[in-house]
Amino acid sequence: MKYLATLGNREYLIEVIDEAHIVVDGVPFEVDFEAVSEETVYSLLVNHRSYEALVYPGEEGWQVLLHGSQYLVQVEDERERRLRESLGGGPPENVDYHLKAPMPGLIVAVPVKEGQEVSKGDVLIILESMKMQNELKSPRPGRVARLRVRPGDSVEQRETLLSVV
Amino acid sequence: MFNKVLIANRGEIAVRIIRACRELGMLTVAVYSEADREALHVRLADEAYLLGPPPSRDSYLRADKIIAIAKKSQAGAIHPGYGFLAERADFAQAIIDEGLAFIGPKPSAIAAMGDKEVARNRVAASGVPVVPGTEGEGALRDEELLAVAPRIGFPLLIKATAGGGGKGMREVNSLEEMPGLLQAARREAEASFGDGNVYLEKLVEGARHIEVQVLADAHGNVIHLGERECSLQRRHQKLLEESPSPFVGDDEALRQEIGAVAVRAAQAVDYVNAGTIEFLVDKDKNYYFLEMNTRVQVEHPVTEMVTGLDIVKEQIRIARGRPLRHTQDRITMTGWAIECRINAEDPYNGFLPSTGRITQMILPTGPGVRVDTGVYPGFEISPYYDSLISKLVVGGETRGEAILRMRRALEEYKVIGIRTNIPFHQRMMESTRFLGGQYDTRFVEERFSMEASEEGREDLSQIAAILATLVAHQRAQRAAHIIQRNERDTSNWKWVGRWERMHR
Repeated sequence: MKYLATLGNREYLIEVIDEAHIVVDGVPFEVDFEAVSEETVYSLLVNHRSYEALVYPGEEGWQVLLHGSQYLVQVEDERERRLRESLGGGPPENVDYHLKAPMPGLIVAVPVKEGQEVSKGDVLIILESMKMQNELKSPRPGRVARLRVRPGDSVEQRETLLSVV
Repeated sequence: MFNKVLIANRGEIAVRIIRACRELGMLTVAVYSEADREALHVRLADEAYLLGPPPSRDSYLRADKIIAIAKKSQAGAIHPGYGFLAERADFAQAIIDEGLAFIGPKPSAIAAMGDKEVARNRVAASGVPVVPGTEGEGALRDEELLAVAPRIGFPLLIKATAGGGGKGMREVNSLEEMPGLLQAARREAEASFGDGNVYLEKLVEGARHIEVQVLADAHGNVIHLGERECSLQRRHQKLLEESPSPFVGDDEALRQEIGAVAVRAAQAVDYVNAGTIEFLVDKDKNYYFLEMNTRVQVEHPVTEMVTGLDIVKEQIRIARGRPLRHTQDRITMTGWAIECRINAEDPYNGFLPSTGRITQMILPTGPGVRVDTGVYPGFEISPYYDSLISKLVVGGETRGEAILRMRRALEEYKVIGIRTNIPFHQRMMESTRFLGGQYDTRFVEERFSMEASEEGREDLSQIAAILATLVAHQRAQRAAHIIQRNERDTSNWKWVGRWERMHR
């Protein structure tokens, strides 16, 4: 099975031959790969050098936490790569911004009103979580729409709070 | 004399106090909110009582319920830990009025040090230097504060009168931005402490935050246990502490001078039990009294590690009326200790709090390592309380050894299920400024980044690519396997029909 792994502007073509052998950009490696404690922590021996890392699936790809550094890796197999190439370019630009709760918490204040014009950096919501008040700001100018929360509401992580259109 | 202690707290500090009680042969009573039934402090205590729903104001801040539980369980003393009710003079007084012991200072000392303006006046009167600000002027209105601000000079800090821990605190760089910041500070102070009053204080630039641990008994003896360096902060929240301070270093004269001033500040309010005097120290080694924390500090273990004393046990002994077992000349600092606060925060995403279940946890062990924690695998981190999940403390013969040991311990420490700031500490342990001890209270916010300073680090991009690919491959294989397992040579409907005929 062949994969293309992308880190920023670097690409690695990785072929998984079997459980113990891979080829990275034409160079063969002997590997031993094990999940420690079920998942997320992985132990990897590459030509007998030992590495341990946390690997999480994220929205933009795999996040690999290795020796105190985080690496964002996109992994595509051949089929996914062809599919993406045939579509040409990324998804169409979505102009609406949907403010989602970055964590569960309590809405302390909503300093904006439905339909109000806001500029970049304006505070849209004040969300309290873990005893800290976090100001959630608008990343761009626009108009507040679909305001779904009021002060005193409890919200879940990733719940949509309002949109800036 | 009491031999049963109620711990009016949760998390790692509740566990820490239970351990001290155990070692002294005392019984322990835990209190908990509905969110904490499975918490470690409930599991470790001899008895446990439910306080109420998860929000602090319905549980850990319910002084009336806590005192009623103490009486019901026949606990003779209450240890407040830090945060929650620890610095509430009315709570301490109510405990004493019920004939119980409060493991902490007298209510009058809490009140004096708790009102920062009173505190400044009291210590200044006994010759302790203080930072310029709106001292002793009571609860000023916004217009009055705005009028006074230019006289103090910018930049300055807005601080909550009843505050602590950076809550309700804002930095102001100009008069124009001040009204908005005042509002935000008052709102946060109101939410955190139920008191929206604020005061102004000059911001000492290039400042280091150095504090001195003191112990005072009920017989008039006061000693200090040396200093702690707490300059590594983010938004005025401490992240890492060490003892001794690399800034004080070999300057034994400065150490003894600040120590003696701290003792004087404690005496100014007739202090009893363990407390901490916080100083701001500028680059010319001028020091100013900042505040006194009238309770045990989060970072007390670094002092324990270099002095060999058990501060929580000393607190209990003092509350039992015992004289201090040590005189000042018997206190020596040996070696070096560093503490990293492990918070449920994602350093790659603006340090946003992270909640969820800890599915796995591998703790660092081995020589010179201490972990104080209140969580374990399977425990759920809720959004109701602060994000501190554990304190990783290491000691070494020298600062260099302590740093290398901390690097080793951080690499061993694995917390799965939630995000933690462990990568932040790993990066800090490699920062040249930290290694050189060259940092002030603005360092993390102004000159430290998780992305930058990659030079000198081994580039493991290829290994990361291999790891991600193998994990993705494993997932794909497993998914394919599940589909295959359901595949039969005949259709499932046919297969069900046969199975039913067979069992008729």
